[in-house]
Amino acid sequence: MEVKEKPNQRPQFLRTFWPLYKKRVVGLVLGLQVVAGLSIVLLYLSVDRQDPYLSWGLLSAILIGQLVATYVVTLAILRPLHDLSRALVHVSGELSSDTPPSLNDDYYKNSNLRPLLQQIYELASKEGSDDSKAATQSNSAASLPAALNTTSTGLVLINAEGQVVFANKAAPVSVAPGGDSKLELIFDVDQPLEEWLVECRTHDIHAEKTWKRIANKLPGEDSRRIFDVFASYEKGSEAEVVVTLFDRTLDYSPEEEDLDFIAFAAHELRGPITVIRGYLDGLNDELASAMNSEQKELFNRLIISANRLSGYINNILNASRYDRRHLQVHLSELTLTDIYETIADDMQLRAKAQRRLLAVNFPPSLPTVAADLNSISEVLGNLIDNAVKYSNDGGSIEVDATVSGDFVEVSVTDHGIGMPANVIGNLFHKFYRSHRSRETVAGTGIGLYISKAIVESHGGKMNVRSVEGHGSTFTFSLPIYATVADKINKGGANNQEFLEQSSSGWIRNHGAIRG
Amino acid sequence: MAINSILVIEDDRFIGEMYVRSLQRAGYTVDWMVDGNDGLIAARNKPYDCILLDLMLPEKRGGEILQVLRGQQDLIPNTKVIVLTNFDQDEHSRLAMEHNAEAYLIKAEITPKKLLSVIEKLSAS
Repeated sequence: MEVKEKPNQRPQFLRTFWPLYKKRVVGLVLGLQVVAGLSIVLLYLSVDRQDPYLSWGLLSAILIGQLVATYVVTLAILRPLHDLSRALVHVSGELSSDTPPSLNDDYYKNSNLRPLLQQIYELASKEGSDDSKAATQSNSAASLPAALNTTSTGLVLINAEGQVVFANKAAPVSVAPGGDSKLELIFDVDQPLEEWLVECRTHDIHAEKTWKRIANKLPGEDSRRIFDVFASYEKGSEAEVVVTLFDRTLDYSPEEEDLDFIAFAAHELRGPITVIRGYLDGLNDELASAMNSEQKELFNRLIISANRLSGYINNILNASRYDRRHLQVHLSELTLTDIYETIADDMQLRAKAQRRLLAVNFPPSLPTVAADLNSISEVLGNLIDNAVKYSNDGGSIEVDATVSGDFVEVSVTDHGIGMPANVIGNLFHKFYRSHRSRETVAGTGIGLYISKAIVESHGGKMNVRSVEGHGSTFTFSLPIYATVADKINKGGANNQEFLEQSSSGWIRNHGAIRG
Repeated sequence: MAINSILVIEDDRFIGEMYVRSLQRAGYTVDWMVDGNDGLIAARNKPYDCILLDLMLPEKRGGEILQVLRGQQDLIPNTKVIVLTNFDQDEHSRLAMEHNAEAYLIKAEITPKKLLSVIEKLSAS
């Protein structure tokens, strides 16, 4: 049986340094006291006490001498403490401009402090040595896969041969019968990961790409997850491709289903509408000479209804995109006339069919605006359509535009039923239908909601003034093209960057629109 | 480049018939394919001046057809491609497709009359 040495003996470092140090400190302090005491006694005995100047002078000299001696002695006593603290700072790895003392000095040799300090400095150099580094590295390497398996973020490493060399638990990989792992993702986009890699291998040294909303399984399958995928490519690296997968299933899932549903429903609805609108348009010309005026009138109602239906579907699709933060506008330089022309025939027909007078007056001197043709024509269409619906037989509707600061402000005014003030606050809410509209006017209650969203994603504002019984004026503003041209060109075809770069307030809400 | 011959790839009978009818009345020579595979074969075998391409097609999606025809290299440099769809694609796919086609139109928004004017515009360009 092994017997451990009893720890009653003092450690060697203390044995060599401590007794000597204690002896020296005691000696110095006592010596100082004795010298001071003796000096005062000698002064007392020897000096002529009748001469006050001399005795006070000598006393002061002794006191000053003692102060200086105390200071020197204290420094000498504290020096090992100073050295030790510097050494400890060095070991701790804290940054310091201090250089280690030269341990070969006589002072360290004589005071026996050298072995003690040497031991401490060696501790520091040991920590930095290769052996211990390797040891710590292998330690962390052992725990890294375990740590990676606890995160919900997938991590996949792919080598230059395209093989998966590492995949953590959260990564969607399937293992083939041969033992090869394969990344299991359904890229329903134009450039899947594999294609991107092929391109990287031929063209790039370093490249990165992000894919959003990539699922590992088809809708309806078990354990389907949806990821945002980030891949980085580094030519010649051991793991040539590092794929990081952020599990966004909870964020995307319900929306994803809605998105599919609404997009597919719209697709189905638009099929018959295409045929109805197409033939109505064709037959209207072909039958023009055969129809009497009443039949023509009825035919126009068919056309208007089909057009409205088509407009409602666009509103629903846009609102769905907006709610999902997928609504994007592509700004280009347009005149208001360009925008109105795309809906002019339809709007005039709607006004005429309900016996309203639609007067559109855009002065030719107006500057061009930065607008998305499709969405702004939908906004204008929604406002004119509302004005037609909520005004009276024979009523007039005026569409005007003026310059206001950096914006062109478009107004649509009717002289119809108007709204009480308490209604106005709710007007831009989704599915809100105005107080009298529920029974008398058809619609989804989504038009103003999405119109406002579209205008705001252009950086403009939408407002309404209304007096019950006297009519309403809806206004919306669009940025003058010249004021934002630089930013649009910088942002490229997709003006996302430009919107995000713009400062204080002029793009309100952009964060809520883009996902 | 004047447009004379047109390939319609469209699976909806009513919509296909409607386009074919109005295009023929306007004097164009029209072939009509109802599925994606046949559409792609036709597009590769005969030099059409213009292709009207639907996206949601059986057998092969319009996007795949466009990818084959224009993805790597332009196999049909003398043909104008008009993508016609009612499907509301996500922004990303739409932009990619617009890049490979001369026009991208929502069918429900385009009557045959308007379609003819688009084709005339492309013909003049």
